[in-house]
Amino acid sequence: MQAGALPRTVRLPGARVPFTVVGAFIAIAAFGVYFTSQDFKLGAYWFIGVAFGVILQRSRLCFAGAFRDLIMGGDGRLLRAILVGLAVATVGMSFLMARFVPDPSFGTLPPGAHIQTVSFATVVGGVVFGIGMVLAGGCVSGTLWRMGEGYLNSWVAMVGILGGLWAGTKTWSWWWDHDVSKREATWLPAKLGMLPSIALVLAALGAIYVAVLWWELRSPQMPEPVAKPTTPAFTVRDHVGLAWSRAFRGGAWSYLTGAVCLAILGTFAYNIQAPLGVTGGLGLWTDQVASAFHAGGLPLKGADQLAGCTAGGGANWLTIRTMTMSGLVLGAFTASVVAGEFKIRFPRRAIRYPQALAGGALMGYGALLAVGCTIGAFFSSIPSLAVSGWLFGIALFAGAFVGVQIIRRLP
Amino acid sequence: MELDVRGEMCPYPAMKAKEALKKLPATERLDVITDHAPALSTVPWEGAKLGFAADVQPLAPGEWRIRLERAEAAVDQRKALAAIAARAAELTSER
Repeated sequence: MQAGALPRTVRLPGARVPFTVVGAFIAIAAFGVYFTSQDFKLGAYWFIGVAFGVILQRSRLCFAGAFRDLIMGGDGRLLRAILVGLAVATVGMSFLMARFVPDPSFGTLPPGAHIQTVSFATVVGGVVFGIGMVLAGGCVSGTLWRMGEGYLNSWVAMVGILGGLWAGTKTWSWWWDHDVSKREATWLPAKLGMLPSIALVLAALGAIYVAVLWWELRSPQMPEPVAKPTTPAFTVRDHVGLAWSRAFRGGAWSYLTGAVCLAILGTFAYNIQAPLGVTGGLGLWTDQVASAFHAGGLPLKGADQLAGCTAGGGANWLTIRTMTMSGLVLGAFTASVVAGEFKIRFPRRAIRYPQALAGGALMGYGALLAVGCTIGAFFSSIPSLAVSGWLFGIALFAGAFVGVQIIRRLP
Repeated sequence: MELDVRGEMCPYPAMKAKEALKKLPATERLDVITDHAPALSTVPWEGAKLGFAADVQPLAPGEWRIRLERAEAAVDQRKALAAIAARAAELTSER
């Protein structure tokens, strides 16, 4: 722990711990107990959000970077890790969906799964979101986690995201009337059966993995993080210390560890109600505030037929989505303080502020159209065996490509 | 020459360092000041690809100076990669 940065510490058995860490742990536990007493689901999603933030902060699993780094520098490590995570989540969520819907050909969609429509809104949303995430330097979950880490840039991006979500909410009816209401939410097992769908998705992920690796090997490799040699553990205390230092002290987790943890967390979340998603919660809170100025737009037209990371009816502050996103920020904050990585950082180049704002606004609008972000409409949709997840993913790639051309020309 | 990329996150530290290195006069060295931990591996790596050796030193908690100087001999990319990764791990885990 950085003694200079955080001088106020308390002595606990074995270590000196900053007040901030103790406070954050108490806050996580206290909110958790309170929300659980309101509704078990709320409490569960609060803790899921905290775990989400810890995983993202420790592994630096940046979805924007996954697309951007491959396009910009031929670095596919992040994207490959995410592909593995998608495969793990696909298997996990399929098992649950097979239990919820024993006969997929019957036409019922699994409840809670992120099966968005195969629509222009999904494609436009993906492209717009892809441009935005490269401009802003992180997708929505990346912005939330870096807010917790102290990046001022991400706080500015968040303002943009909220603005974009608000604009999306206000214009949604047009998209619903002209596009979304006419499109089908295609669930692969309804067309192909459960097992062939799982096989097809895994094969496609595998094929993309090989393609990314091939692309990556054409350009010079990037440095892989090296694990520090550890001192042998003899006692229980040694083992606990070793586990702690591996989780919070050894630089960062590998991208692969992060992606697989996230896949397992998503499967857990789906076991309770719905897979991971954050933009729905942001959209809801934005609308709650806007409503106070008589400028709200929720519920969205056709909300009862929409699957994905939705904002809900707009009558409540506390939902599983708002729990996830607030838990995420506090989880990332706590992890970064424990790891000694928290620091208020503000960009010295003025252009970054309008850039983050514009990027955020694009992401907010895109996420509303696609009913989810890189998490809700991609990382939770492909494992839902939804066609929309693939559509959004391809659109993200196209958008990120445009975004890279833009940032290359910025100072 | 000094390049202050504090507050900037990926990809800017590496991107700006690369631009600066390409324009760097032959006799000069480049000091990159950063507070973004991933830059500890991405910036030296951009340097290695352009024939620069890197020396990374902590300036303050969570702040580092990456000094890039023209390497006398040709940079062995495999060795450079291993050294960069090891140094980054060392700097971000010892506190």
